Amino acid sequence: MTRARRTLLLLVAPSLALLVLINAYPLVYAAVQSVRDGTLIDPGDFVGLDNYRDTLTSPAFWRSVRFTLIFTAVGVFGSWLGGLGLALLLRTRIPGRTVFKTLLLLPWVVPVVVSSTAWNWLVATPQSLLPTLVHALGLGTPLFLADPVWARITVCVFKVWISVPFMMMMISAALTGVDRAVYEAADVDGATRWQQFAHITLPMIARSTYISWILMTIFCVNDFPTIYLLTGGGPVDATTSLVVLSYRTVFQNFQVGPGVAIAFVMTLSLVVVSVALYRQIRKAHA
Amino acid sequence: MRTADSRGQWWRFGLLLVITGVVLVPVAAVLVLALRPGVASGSTASFGIANFTHVFTDVPTLIWLANSLGVTLATVLVSVAVAAPAGYVLSRGRSRAVSAYSLLLFVVQSLPVITAVIPLFLLFAEIGLVDNLIGLGIVYVGASMSVAVWMMAAYIDTIPVSLEEAAWIDGASLFTGFTRIVLRNSLPGVLSTAIFTFLVSWNDYLVAIVFLRSEERFTLPIGVQSFFQQNGTDWGSVMALAVVMMLPPVIVFTTLNRYFSVGGIGGSLAGT
Repeated sequence: MTRARRTLLLLVAPSLALLVLINAYPLVYAAVQSVRDGTLIDPGDFVGLDNYRDTLTSPAFWRSVRFTLIFTAVGVFGSWLGGLGLALLLRTRIPGRTVFKTLLLLPWVVPVVVSSTAWNWLVATPQSLLPTLVHALGLGTPLFLADPVWARITVCVFKVWISVPFMMMMISAALTGVDRAVYEAADVDGATRWQQFAHITLPMIARSTYISWILMTIFCVNDFPTIYLLTGGGPVDATTSLVVLSYRTVFQNFQVGPGVAIAFVMTLSLVVVSVALYRQIRKAHA
Repeated sequence: MRTADSRGQWWRFGLLLVITGVVLVPVAAVLVLALRPGVASGSTASFGIANFTHVFTDVPTLIWLANSLGVTLATVLVSVAVAAPAGYVLSRGRSRAVSAYSLLLFVVQSLPVITAVIPLFLLFAEIGLVDNLIGLGIVYVGASMSVAVWMMAAYIDTIPVSLEEAAWIDGASLFTGFTRIVLRNSLPGVLSTAIFTFLVSWNDYLVAIVFLRSEERFTLPIGVQSFFQQNGTDWGSVMALAVVMMLPPVIVFTTLNRYFSVGGIGGSLAGT
């Protein structure tokens, strides 16, 4: 090994060690736990694939899969549309642009514990601000956190509210790379605003869009606090995502094996999907 | 042409104003409620800092604040120290091993924290790192590692290799080139990485709720949450605590905002 290679290895070594300790080791451990019937203090006995069988045949698991998919789809595309709209608005000459940009990043910067408390105050009971407003407008009294359908909608909107700034930053960064002269040329050629958007802007931000979708999918599937702090997974499990289900199984029902099996099934699906997408980007870029 | 242009500008300004207003309602609610003295504060004024006096004297807010600050600063320092050299290798390396490392970072990023937290809880329980702020910091460094390395690599990509090559010709080693040339010119990249790890560590809820048990070890998220569960109707005090918790990241982010860039992540993910 040359001296240069040894230096490179030394430079990545600390990060590799941490990746192994914090990520690889737990993954192996989780794999072992998922085929045992242990609790938090007792390693338990080997039970083969029972935990997986129980997981894959349990209706609660599939309900969680469904909610996780809804939550992720709304989270990814909702925040992308919002972020795209804001990034395009902020690209134009507007008084106070920097101030707007900073203020609009706040939902992403404010800790979820704080924002979920604020949302709780806004929507939790029929006497809260938003239900009172809706009632005053004669639109009934929706129970934003107590009705299963409304609770799902509220959690998804909350996730979009938190994630839009991230998308806005990703898309803004991609848009700064687009040369204004291209639009001027398109104007001269008589292209409409929509044609300019579809044929210049979208292709130029396609790569960042793709990457931001992958990252946001990972963020949504793995999300815990956004859901747990707002609804705790309720009412009646309506907003129990896979992560919340896994957390409850381990830390509230103390069934480590089944809980880890749930997390493991989810992890494997996510890794397979995201590695496939990752190869796709690298291939498209090469 | 000119008037149409400026009319469009004001129309967009109005639209942005409305959107920003609606988006910030929850944040404004926190501030307003925190400044309106509640029942528990014993004050009858309609506006004031009574809630803050209450949470700082009758609640272990200062301890939680100190815990959060300690863990977060340690996490930021260690993350940057580990991610900067790794980012350098990711940016400059061109071998098969570097590609494998890049894929590893990506796989790790897609692992749910919950999968890691359960085994780490069991492991850390053995070695006395549960209910311990050092244990918490170790998990945060690991959890933010991939993005931190990508951010450093993305910034180092913008520093011309020719600078190091000149130094190598003058007899400098690879390591000297990295510390004397690349690191010295990487302040924006370091700040960006530091801001990101600051947010991850300061805002974390899942790891802290699993690992921390005793009240004097709580970080602010757990403190705020447990206080909210016990005093759910005392909105004034709850929101005062919320303000204490959100001010540091808001201040850090608004002052250092111009250094922060997530755009680069895309570049280093896709490879160059």
